[in-house]
Amino acid sequence: MSDYLLSIVLLSPTAFAILLLPIPRRWKKVHRVITLIASLIMFAISCRLWTSFDANDPGFQLDIGRIPWIPQFGITYHVALDGISLLLVLLTTLLLPVVVLAAWSFNIEHIKSLHISLLLLTTGMIGTFVSLDLFLFYIFWEITLIPMYFIVGVWGGPRRIYAAVKFFIFTMAGSVFMLVAILYLAWFHHQQTGIWSYSYLDFLQTAPLLPTTGGLFAPGLLIFAAFFLAFAIKVPIFPLHTWLPDAHVEAPTTGSVLLAGVLLKMGTYGLLRFNRALLPDAWEFFAPLLMVLAVIGIIYGALVAMVQPDVKKLVAYSSVSHLGFVVLGLAAGTQASTQGAILQMVNHGLTTGALFLLVGMLYERTYTRLIERYGGLAGVMPIFTGIFLVVTLGSIGLPGLNGFVGEFLILAGSWAVHPVAVVFAGLGIILSAVYMLWMVQRVFWGPVDITANYALPDINLREVFVVAPLMVLIVWIGIHPNTFLEPMEASVRLLLAR
Amino acid sequence: MLTPTHAEIIAIAPELILTITAGLVLVIEAFLPGLRRYLSGLTMLAIAGAIWARLSLELPGAVWAGMLQVDQLTAFVDTYILIAAFFAVWMAGPFMRRTAAECGEFYALILFATVGSMVMACSVNLLTIFLGLELLSIPLYVLNAFFRRHEASVEAGLKYFVVGAFASGFVAYGMALLYGASASTNLVEIGRQVVELGSLSPLTAVGFAMVFGGLAFKLALVPCHAWAPDVYQGSPTPVTAFLSVVPKGAALIVLLRMVEGMDLLQVSPRWVLAASVIAVASQTLGNVVAIVQRDIKRMLAYSGIAHMGYALVAVIVAGTDGGAAVLVYLAAYTVMNMGAFACVAQLSEREDRPHLINDLSGQGYNRPVAALALTISLFALSGIPPFIGFTAKFVVFRAAINEGFVWLAVIGVINSLISVFYYVRVIYVLYMRPLPDRQPDYGFNLPICAAASAAALGTLLLGIYPSAILAAAQSAILCLAR
Repeated sequence: MSDYLLSIVLLSPTAFAILLLPIPRRWKKVHRVITLIASLIMFAISCRLWTSFDANDPGFQLDIGRIPWIPQFGITYHVALDGISLLLVLLTTLLLPVVVLAAWSFNIEHIKSLHISLLLLTTGMIGTFVSLDLFLFYIFWEITLIPMYFIVGVWGGPRRIYAAVKFFIFTMAGSVFMLVAILYLAWFHHQQTGIWSYSYLDFLQTAPLLPTTGGLFAPGLLIFAAFFLAFAIKVPIFPLHTWLPDAHVEAPTTGSVLLAGVLLKMGTYGLLRFNRALLPDAWEFFAPLLMVLAVIGIIYGALVAMVQPDVKKLVAYSSVSHLGFVVLGLAAGTQASTQGAILQMVNHGLTTGALFLLVGMLYERTYTRLIERYGGLAGVMPIFTGIFLVVTLGSIGLPGLNGFVGEFLILAGSWAVHPVAVVFAGLGIILSAVYMLWMVQRVFWGPVDITANYALPDINLREVFVVAPLMVLIVWIGIHPNTFLEPMEASVRLLLAR
Repeated sequence: MLTPTHAEIIAIAPELILTITAGLVLVIEAFLPGLRRYLSGLTMLAIAGAIWARLSLELPGAVWAGMLQVDQLTAFVDTYILIAAFFAVWMAGPFMRRTAAECGEFYALILFATVGSMVMACSVNLLTIFLGLELLSIPLYVLNAFFRRHEASVEAGLKYFVVGAFASGFVAYGMALLYGASASTNLVEIGRQVVELGSLSPLTAVGFAMVFGGLAFKLALVPCHAWAPDVYQGSPTPVTAFLSVVPKGAALIVLLRMVEGMDLLQVSPRWVLAASVIAVASQTLGNVVAIVQRDIKRMLAYSGIAHMGYALVAVIVAGTDGGAAVLVYLAAYTVMNMGAFACVAQLSEREDRPHLINDLSGQGYNRPVAALALTISLFALSGIPPFIGFTAKFVVFRAAINEGFVWLAVIGVINSLISVFYYVRVIYVLYMRPLPDRQPDYGFNLPICAAASAAALGTLLLGIYPSAILAAAQSAILCLAR
């Protein structure tokens, strides 16, 4: 039974989405309650996955083997977890109940469709992290596009259509080339072994054999580039990031949290899982470029965030900067920096997710996100301010909170590889403190400039429940990161050894 | 005179069922017009019977003096042709009733055209291919112009007739040249001679090029595509649905038989180059021009041009991989297109007015079933998983890469990306625009909605479990093996 738990977590959101279909759309409460219960069940099961996970085993666990799906091409349904994907699955299933609860007060039309979209999106996100067959992976990767397109496009802000289409086209643009790359890898595997397969484990044997020498058009480098494009757009890495501020700002709070919290991690996860593990030689070749792009992303994201008049946009640009750290850690490729990068993926999901939730709460009260329309909120909403401050400090890497651990590991691990990059990245940390604290100062301290703001209610009990799990983890990771570093250590070691 | 054997009768049983029904329909129309409203049901029943006959009766192989080849390949092709005809009649019944144009001749013509395409699909002889082609085309000319009081419909009929007659001339002349070069009308024999020679003789090359040119008109490949948008737009929607799938399916199978028989991938690099250029041009032109269309039927016409471009890639690759890819692609295209056109038939106010995409504003919540079916069909057409459209493209690109045509696959995926623009725009209009002040009066039509839902459900289920259809296609294509 416990072997099937992973498939249950993966497929039950879709089952619940189908369950919601026949329920009339007037019964908004029913949709909310069913989705919340479903998400809590999934979170409970994934905690069960965590407890039954053996941290000393570096390989894939909870594996029920390859179930033939399209036997003609050797395509299988094959899902399993290792230490790296475990954390990301946990993050996904944690954020789902949070966003469902956050959308409770969402007084909008089409509640039913929103919840169906959320559930389908969850299947896509989890599937991306646990698929060991590249065909399956590609399907889950693409499936996330459709619900997210609707979430941004139907329930988003004023420029939602532009943002939704841009998100769709950008992501699609990357992934179509990845499809060609996957097909090419399968063909190459067949050339080498005579067997048709799309299995990740099989590709681990043959993909590294792809020639990477002989100019820029060597097959290994082109395949790397195709995968890289798909993931770099998703992360997003510096010149490909332009869809992100639009999508994050226009998306409703639920969408922003999942976009920042999970969807971006699909990119960094892909870089590590596919680019790094399947094509180590090409990775070596491209690592310096990656490092440069990462550092540019860190500094550029921070500088642009600093001048944003809109809180949500500020948080969105801070994502570009934070994800730069993750990419830096991956590019450096040492044990410490990689573990730091993976932890930082989770950290970013927690802190940025929490920031988007908090900004969403502010917006629900004031219907504005402009920093200049706030001021002095600390006196009006003391508890909210306290929570916001903790999250902010977590985000800028105050020791004792989660951001510090991740960034420290990344910088310490990268120092041996490229000290100059680390120096510049360190500059990014300082900048992040500047833009976040300056924002906090303008929003919460000082006099209350706008009289309407005197009447703002403080955070309510439901909202406390929304952010509480994230707060707990922000502190937990800051104080005892080993809980989360241990399960992935062996897996990362194995992956880097290739 | 030779008397046909038992096996020969069995081999054409589905065609016989349809022909007899067509005759019956005409008789009922003439003498018992009161029964007119049962005719669509009768026609659907006959088509279902034909599908049953094709799938359950034995497949004897070469019959009728080797002119017809009734094997698993025929069974596969016939099945999706018949399913397409079934869907077309399914939506035609209520549709023609609503537009007050119902009469028995409509169904008889659809049945004759279906028989024609089935004959084309199982022919291995130039003569029967031509017969099938004409039997398919002539009823279609009439069907296009069936709304004889609508200018657009008459224009569609005339346009398709002029272009179609031109194409038939091409095909006939090309066939004459092929016969002149090989002294045989049998495709297998012609192919054998070409393979033996190892190259195309000038006469064969010209003959084949002309046949290909004629078929390219039917397939609406660039540069023979110009008729498609007007004809799609003007024809009654069920006819457009039929037209968008059945002739293309039959023509592509004929082409595949010829290419495979002559082994053109090995024999003629010139063919490979020319066909690749045509495939790329069709994909690119179809997708780019579709972006600026305001009428959904015209948009689907250009999308059809692009889709035939993808299918042609599979024809170029040929062999077992490419052949199976052609079959899967056509089957997938049938289901997706039927779904899309059934939705167009449901979401249209007046047949003689353009079907503007903007008129669909906000219908996603007003007509949830039809809108969802249209959404699924369009996502499938754009090649997004988990729908069958993705699997079909996957199979085609896989075949191309395995044969070393990586560049064709890359251009193909870039084109899929372009196509996302216009498919997704329709979905945006459906769900993300408010209802306009003056809402179009779409009414509700249960059979058409049911047809759309069935097609959409098929698109989804086949996409999730494509293994069965792939297995069928692969075993069907083995019948083509030299």
